[in-house]
Amino acid sequence: MIGSVGDQRVEEYAKLLVERCVDVQPGWQVVVSAEPLGRPLVDAIVRAIARRGAYALPRLRFSVPSEVEWLKEAPLELVEELPGIEKHGWDEADCLIVVIAHENARVGSDVPPERVSAMRRAVRPYQQRLLDGTMAWVGCQFPTQALAQEAGMTLRQFEEFLYGAVLVDWDALGAEMRRIAERFDAASTVRVVGDGTDLRFSLEGRQGKIDALGANMPGGEIFYSPIEDSAEGVIGYTEYPACYTGHAVEGVRLRFEAGTIVGASAEADEPFLLSILDSDEGARRLGEFGIGCNPGIQRHTRNTLFDEKIEGTVHFAVGFGFPDLGGTNTSAVHWDMVKDLRRGGRIELDGVVVQENGEWYL
Amino acid sequence: MDPRVEAYARLLVERCIDVRPGQQVLIRSTPLARPLIEEIGRLIAARGAYLILRLNWSMWPLDYGWAAEAPAELLGELPEIDRHACDHMDARMTIDAPENTREGADLPPERLALVKAAERVFFRRTMSDEIPWVGCQFPTQALAQDAGMTLPEFEDLLYRACLIDWDAEGDRMRRLAERFASAEQVRLAGPSTDLTIGVEGRTFAVDDGRNNMPGGEFFTSPLEDTAQGVIEFSEFPAVFQGHEFAGIRLEFRDGRVVDATSQSNEGVLVSILDRDEGARRIGELGIGCNPGIQRFMRNALFDEKIDGSAHVALGAGYPKVGGTNVSAVHWDIVKDLRRGGRIELDGAVVQEDGRWLI
Repeated sequence: MIGSVGDQRVEEYAKLLVERCVDVQPGWQVVVSAEPLGRPLVDAIVRAIARRGAYALPRLRFSVPSEVEWLKEAPLELVEELPGIEKHGWDEADCLIVVIAHENARVGSDVPPERVSAMRRAVRPYQQRLLDGTMAWVGCQFPTQALAQEAGMTLRQFEEFLYGAVLVDWDALGAEMRRIAERFDAASTVRVVGDGTDLRFSLEGRQGKIDALGANMPGGEIFYSPIEDSAEGVIGYTEYPACYTGHAVEGVRLRFEAGTIVGASAEADEPFLLSILDSDEGARRLGEFGIGCNPGIQRHTRNTLFDEKIEGTVHFAVGFGFPDLGGTNTSAVHWDMVKDLRRGGRIELDGVVVQENGEWYL
Repeated sequence: MDPRVEAYARLLVERCIDVRPGQQVLIRSTPLARPLIEEIGRLIAARGAYLILRLNWSMWPLDYGWAAEAPAELLGELPEIDRHACDHMDARMTIDAPENTREGADLPPERLALVKAAERVFFRRTMSDEIPWVGCQFPTQALAQDAGMTLPEFEDLLYRACLIDWDAEGDRMRRLAERFASAEQVRLAGPSTDLTIGVEGRTFAVDDGRNNMPGGEFFTSPLEDTAQGVIEFSEFPAVFQGHEFAGIRLEFRDGRVVDATSQSNEGVLVSILDRDEGARRIGELGIGCNPGIQRFMRNALFDEKIDGSAHVALGAGYPKVGGTNVSAVHWDIVKDLRRGGRIELDGAVVQEDGRWLI
């Protein structure tokens, strides 16, 4: 078993998740969704929940998406609607903790995209509780060989990387991100320039959110839902592949007009890119603009949870936006694509350069 | 993949549960049963039903790690979400696939009693046969080790005991069960054992590969206040919730255990009997008939079906066969009758040394 029992960092990680990220309260029903390899962390989480006087409801699944064999063959009308027992669980749970611990990052990539979309449509109305804040939640990862391999690291290296990104001084980082967010809150037009990229969009009237001990562990980003019809220009994801549901799409290039993607191409796996963009009306608009700020994350690891927080990067998600940030775009999709700005990139707010080559000028 | 896994999955989905479109089929198991669960998932999908997978290292809805540290006042009742699932599942499969059969043995007895009481709501609708259900196992190293076998040996045994002609076995067992059902009194006799139990008016159910896989027993819930005499389980150790007991001897008067001894773990034995009022009464009398099971495996699901054995369960009875005993305990203890044992019905010997005379 990896992440050897007795690794003090696992205990610390679990306490951070249970006590600070979601702050479990007595009597809560806390669903803990995890893959089997996450066991050391899940065990520690379950015990930390018990010590807070709350119910732990562990739900292991072999993969994400779960129950792949069922998903591939069930009638589509069943995939499109959650069973009553699972609806009830979504309605009643007080808190959700998701532990990603893949054994193979490609599991699920053989499920037809329309089935994955159908499954997402089924769960989306219930996930509203995650977005509107009525269900506390956090998603995190546990170091596995597959995640290490995907990141181009040995397991030991990946463990160092992961714990370096999650066991940081969150109070200090939070204060720094708040300072940056205030400048973006006050601005109206954002321009992101970089390799193959010149994209403008508006944040007018929108407030940002900082992620420090929030719904993602590691946190370390500032994010917004941009004005839905404002994006104009092009963005080229030339540095890193865009990763989603087991696919890693190289060289994605998107052209926006009045907020909508009017041109999309990729160097490889383009049909997948197009099928996702065509999965519903909202999938061709931006739901999120985010700025990576975690100093513990300096390299891309094909792992969105980490990659979107790389210090000196920004990311844009096609698909649903965040209602609590004023976002109105709805979609079953939310695909974060990360753009590195550390070599020749810059961010302008209302014409003023605030970040260049990944360095802040604020 | 082992083709037997597919045949096994088919048996569970088609014969044991007979999954119907739209049903919510709840499966509880551990990650070790993955090949079987995936195959079952495919078959349930093909039948147009939902798979509600409840996978954990402990058997849902229990979690021993949580139960060790949670406040005692939370232990006695399942969280509402899990109670709702128990009340709304349309069918359930329990697939035991332990990585260590002693799991939970370190939980203090008073905590274990509380979580077992909480778990009763899970069994309520299956003990009364309100919904289709099956309990089965997937071969793991832990089960093989307890059985004194390698994993391939255990796999062979499991599939030999499960993949048989259940219709033919059912006919054979129904013929035997009819004789028992027409009797008033059953007597189990043998070295150090002489126990009589009343069964008048009670139904004998035949497990022809439906509620248990492997099946291969017929059983009833005997009249609750009739057991008289002594039964000694000297052939095999008894196993319950991770504890092992050698040489249990139980003396019954008017249906209740009035004296209980064991060569090992006697204190635990007595604490189980004292768990609640019903734990000292017999909830089940069963006769093992599976020709594929000839040896003791430290595995209740199999051992109670050893051809030529009988078992009594302390604790909860089955309402569907007329049982009225209520308890959080249901502990099957197996008695080998193949060497010097016999079964009498109203004074007539029907089985001797494990061989049927009828």
